[in-house]
Amino acid sequence: MFVARMKTISLNPVSRIEGHLAVHTETEPVTVNGLTSHRVTSARCEGEMFRGLEKILEGRDPLDAQVIMQRVCGVCPIAHGMGSVKAQEMAYGIVPTPNGRLLQNLIAGANFLHSHILHFYQLAALDFVDVKALLKYQGANPTLIRLKSWVEEGLARKDAFPAAPFLPRYEVKYLEDQDANMALLAHYVEALEIRKTADEMGAIFGAKLPHATALIPGGCTQTPTIDHIIAYSSRLKRVAAFIREVYWPDVLRVGKAFGPYFDIGQGCGNYLAFGVFETDASGGKWIRPGVLMQGKWEPLDQSAIAEDASSSKFAQKGALHPSLGETDAQPGKTGAYSWIKSPRYRGQVMEVGPLARWMVNYHDPAQAWVKQEVDGVLGALNLPLTKLASVMGRHVIRALEARSLAAGMEDWIAQVEIDGAPNQPFDIPKSASGYGLTEAPRGALGHWLAIENHRIQRYQCIVPTTWNCSPRDGSNQPGPVEQSLVGLMVEDPTQPIEVGRVVRSFDPCIACAVH
Amino acid sequence: MNLSRRTLLKTAALITAQLALAPACVTVLAEGLDRLVHRKERVLWLQGMSCTGCSISLLNAEGPIPLEIVTEIISLVYHPNLSALQGDKTGALIDQVTASGDFYFVLEGAVPVGMPEACRVADKPLTELLPPILRKAKAVIAAGTCASYGGIPAAVGNPTGSVGLRTFMDQQNIPVKGRFLACPGCPCHPLSLVGALAYLIGKGYPAVDAELLTPDMFFKESVHDTCPRFHFWEKRVFAAKFGDEGCLFKLGCLGPLSRTNCPKRQWNGGANWCIRAGAPCVACTSPEFARRREFPFYRVGERYHEVRYTEGERKGASL
Repeated sequence: MFVARMKTISLNPVSRIEGHLAVHTETEPVTVNGLTSHRVTSARCEGEMFRGLEKILEGRDPLDAQVIMQRVCGVCPIAHGMGSVKAQEMAYGIVPTPNGRLLQNLIAGANFLHSHILHFYQLAALDFVDVKALLKYQGANPTLIRLKSWVEEGLARKDAFPAAPFLPRYEVKYLEDQDANMALLAHYVEALEIRKTADEMGAIFGAKLPHATALIPGGCTQTPTIDHIIAYSSRLKRVAAFIREVYWPDVLRVGKAFGPYFDIGQGCGNYLAFGVFETDASGGKWIRPGVLMQGKWEPLDQSAIAEDASSSKFAQKGALHPSLGETDAQPGKTGAYSWIKSPRYRGQVMEVGPLARWMVNYHDPAQAWVKQEVDGVLGALNLPLTKLASVMGRHVIRALEARSLAAGMEDWIAQVEIDGAPNQPFDIPKSASGYGLTEAPRGALGHWLAIENHRIQRYQCIVPTTWNCSPRDGSNQPGPVEQSLVGLMVEDPTQPIEVGRVVRSFDPCIACAVH
Repeated sequence: MNLSRRTLLKTAALITAQLALAPACVTVLAEGLDRLVHRKERVLWLQGMSCTGCSISLLNAEGPIPLEIVTEIISLVYHPNLSALQGDKTGALIDQVTASGDFYFVLEGAVPVGMPEACRVADKPLTELLPPILRKAKAVIAAGTCASYGGIPAAVGNPTGSVGLRTFMDQQNIPVKGRFLACPGCPCHPLSLVGALAYLIGKGYPAVDAELLTPDMFFKESVHDTCPRFHFWEKRVFAAKFGDEGCLFKLGCLGPLSRTNCPKRQWNGGANWCIRAGAPCVACTSPEFARRREFPFYRVGERYHEVRYTEGERKGASL
């Protein structure tokens, strides 16, 4: 009788994400044509850092919230700032002025663009691009010449750590096309400057990035003068051009070279979006909220959200709606393996992120423009819609979103009223509650706030990576990333690059996930 | 290996002679050898109870830019967000760097001494991973307010008992004098971090505040003292609501408590900064940043509830 020998293959720590994540997979050996690989049969995502910002907010002045909650994450602080100000706006009964709404969107949009560019180049690219191909470079690009001599010198000196941080790396098969490698490496360097420019855009109306002090309920503190508008527009043009002419083609290049990754990392097939970028004062959004449950579109019902903590290091009975949520840390809890909780929608596992947003909106009859954009891309790549549910699909949709968003932002900056009121004044009621549903670059984000005696009585948030890297819930359903790893073939158990490629396609942020 | 200038020139001269090269080649060879033998100082960067904001801020560095920092100034042997290295060889690399004793260490984020399980790195609690690194490093930099003083993770009511790195080192009896620098800010300003690192590597330990161990060159003057709106303060012209001109003190500005040079170098390449944008300073470089529930950032709440601080506390001892 044949007994498969299970082998644990771990990726711990996962670098080039945000935060502290360990991924463990159970695998069984599979021999094909005499070569043994390891097929993942189950996976565990372990979030390894907890701060307790929800607890820290209790008893504080409500206006402390958007300052502190931006510090959930230094990569997507504006998303948290927006979740917080939206929850406060609901609690205070105000809407931003038209300028306030536009400026909030422009700060948030800039943060999206920096994040997506950072993700593809600085976080994900080294899983695909061959840095050592620099040694064969014969061209005239000054950046590449400089990088090449830097790598060569380190090797010649017999440095213990040559070309750090690009080496050491797993010695596996990377991109083989020399031209593509060189283009991607040159663009990695260019991307560093472009994402910095996107942060400048955010600072023009947000004061500074990371952590924008100008973002307040009702809008922002920065009155938009013509100087600001010109400064923002000129940078946006540069960033938008990079996305269209460099980032987008690079993603397609990698997608073409790593075609099998359109069939890897499918995930749970349920998608959740809260929508983002308010287009008017009555709740219209550029990307709309909704749910796609096994291909069927439904409108969003936020009361269907509940956070389970069965495998999470918290004392909690059952699954709780975040308006009743608790943060009672229990680090030694038996059976818990992660600091991340398990949010579920009507008890179902849901993926969030650019792919989720665009899949939901693709099926939303009111969002024909999204279907048009996506169908255009699928036509050009000769792919069916189903292939987007994959590692490569997530990278493609993230780049598509960056491209579309940059174009949208060029419209929004033109609508800003020069010298117009940037914020709506407000009073803080004695007793109130509110929630802010928005999207971070990584997916659907919600902040829930309750005020008593003019102070924060309860504050809870559920963050994109909470959904995506969630552990098994009370019904033993693994989370989206855990599910997406099942069936993955790992060639070399000592160098599980495939695991990294799958996990990074979700663009995880663990400081966010746990908060 | 670091060769002295004298040795470089001698070696270059020898090679020139042996290969019968023109005498001018000595200088060229010496420069080349210098480049070849001069290894950049190693920097090991880890994250504790952090949000990664200080690392993103580092990527916003203006002059030098990140590419220059990584290829010309330091050897960034490990950084959690940038390194190609992943998985179980990470621990071994950290051990190898630590054992060499030939590196600078940067920590971003606070240390959860009250709940070690709140932060694990490469299969160990951070509290266990840190001490050997801290003892062996040539110098230690706390990047950002969380690492410098505990920051938001150390706020009243926090569940993890987090502290800043200096406090952790004191608790562990690891020497700080002449080898520890705090570079606060939420996030740390890239110029402060890169400047402090470059100074340490190029010149040595800088002049610091005796109590806080922050480099004077970036953290001596208060925001209030160098604020462009100082004239409004003097004339007692105060902004009443967000977006108004005037001094922001009555809205909550904590410029008097924030010792850093934001008004001079501003943020994001000069794109803007808090007070210029009409946003009151939240004193993000202060040891007390975000610490107390009863000391909110803004004074809007004074309308509604019992105020448990004095105006004097918001002005700081100097005013």
